[in-house]
Amino acid sequence: MSILNVKVADVEQVTDMVKHFTLVEENGQPLPRFSGGSHVVVSMNINGRIHRNPYSLMGSPENTDSYHISVRRQENSRGGSVFMHDGIEVGSKLQITYPVNLFSLSKLGKKHILVAGGIGITPFMSQIADLKRLGDDYEMHYAFRSAEHGAFVEQLKQMCGDRLHLHIESEGQRINFNNLLSNQPLGTHIYVCGPEPMVNALLLTAKDLGWPKTHVHSEQFLAPPIGDSFQVQLVKSNMEIEVPGDMSMLEAMEEAGLEPDFLCRGGACGRCEVEVLECDGALMHNDHYLSDAEKASGNKIMPCVSRARCQKLLLNI
Amino acid sequence: MQRGYWIRSKPLYDSLVWQTPAVAHLVVAGGEGGIAVLKLFQQMYPKDPIQVLYADLPKAEKNYSDILQQIVLEELDICDSEESLLENLEQRLKDCTMGTHFYVAGSEAFMWQVLQKTRAAGVQDVDVQKELCGTLARPVYCVHCKTITRDVHHNVFPCSNCGRHLFVRDHFSRRLGAYMGVMVDAEEPGNIPQIEEVYP
Repeated sequence: MSILNVKVADVEQVTDMVKHFTLVEENGQPLPRFSGGSHVVVSMNINGRIHRNPYSLMGSPENTDSYHISVRRQENSRGGSVFMHDGIEVGSKLQITYPVNLFSLSKLGKKHILVAGGIGITPFMSQIADLKRLGDDYEMHYAFRSAEHGAFVEQLKQMCGDRLHLHIESEGQRINFNNLLSNQPLGTHIYVCGPEPMVNALLLTAKDLGWPKTHVHSEQFLAPPIGDSFQVQLVKSNMEIEVPGDMSMLEAMEEAGLEPDFLCRGGACGRCEVEVLECDGALMHNDHYLSDAEKASGNKIMPCVSRARCQKLLLNI
Repeated sequence: MQRGYWIRSKPLYDSLVWQTPAVAHLVVAGGEGGIAVLKLFQQMYPKDPIQVLYADLPKAEKNYSDILQQIVLEELDICDSEESLLENLEQRLKDCTMGTHFYVAGSEAFMWQVLQKTRAAGVQDVDVQKELCGTLARPVYCVHCKTITRDVHHNVFPCSNCGRHLFVRDHFSRRLGAYMGVMVDAEEPGNIPQIEEVYP
């Protein structure tokens, strides 16, 4: 996988929980162009173990001088966001993947409704730049817990003007999805990024109101959940590895020296899919990629976020 | 089509089935497509508002406006030609909202005329239920003179504009709503294969 070497040109504390990092190419070269909604995967060396987390690019896609990512500090997680907050400063060097877009705007759309919860605002910052360039009709709905958690509100006001709708939970303002999704003109597309309950509520409302799936877009990157350790036999590689409780299968394979395919590392894209040849226990599917039927059939697994509880697991890799 | 060989762009059609949940339903049919509408109304109706647009077509072997007027008790609009039906549809699409489901039935040429209108309104072709009725006749686009000939029944036919003998392929353009027709005797003028009626 192609890697970009970058260094941190600026760090800004946006809210108590959110830091914004400006990344430039290490040798001052222009960075690759991208489309609104793209993300990069940032590699971090934390105590000798490589963590890789996906972050949405927030800057304008026209700007190839720098990339912009924002990280919310997650205390009860595996340490990637805490490392970014505490261990990264101006001048730090990082490795990132080329941008990949799993959350692009539909070019067939006549109107676009963007819905963000909390840090889920980040992919929309680059999408709005695209929408403004295309001159398309859009609304930006941004929900957050309280005024001090509203990252980038001033910037959004400047970018969106009266297309921006803020929903501040502490002031009793919640997005009414039923109202939002009713009576929208044909050709409207909706995009949602935010906490899981919010995304699920929106997807359910869209379904109940007869919206076709082709018009409903969501992105949620999952952090690999922590679980019990288990053993995996990798048949093609002729290897047996242990997946520790705080590591994903994908990370354990990488630690063992393999280079499995991946893109998002968050259970969204399906790139790291692996065939399950045998499992004497339960697969714990945590991804958003496989259908319910595929999850039930137990022939495939997404090693970036999914785990197993079993004595014997054979993967065709 | 040969066994094991498949052209991805060749559209496949289904039987119309009410799609729920929905906020409204718009059914559009022409000529022999009327039978698909009658079949639809033999299923349990959804509770949401239903509109039906239908036109008798001169080329159809059987037309259904009389029967539909008896059977369809919902909002039914019988148009007097395909052109007026398409104009009527264009107007109605302006008032449709997200959550409206679309159904179309008739010949392939008719359906893809309707789909051009729904697409212009922002509806994706895959989200429209389609049922092919009556005839397998194909609309064919001449790649040489760029004319579309409707209702082609034979494997090889003379282009309605330039007169070249065109071989009808399975490659289909959703944008044009037509199959690809290529000159069959370009390499050996006059060597035209046996002409057969394969799209009755």
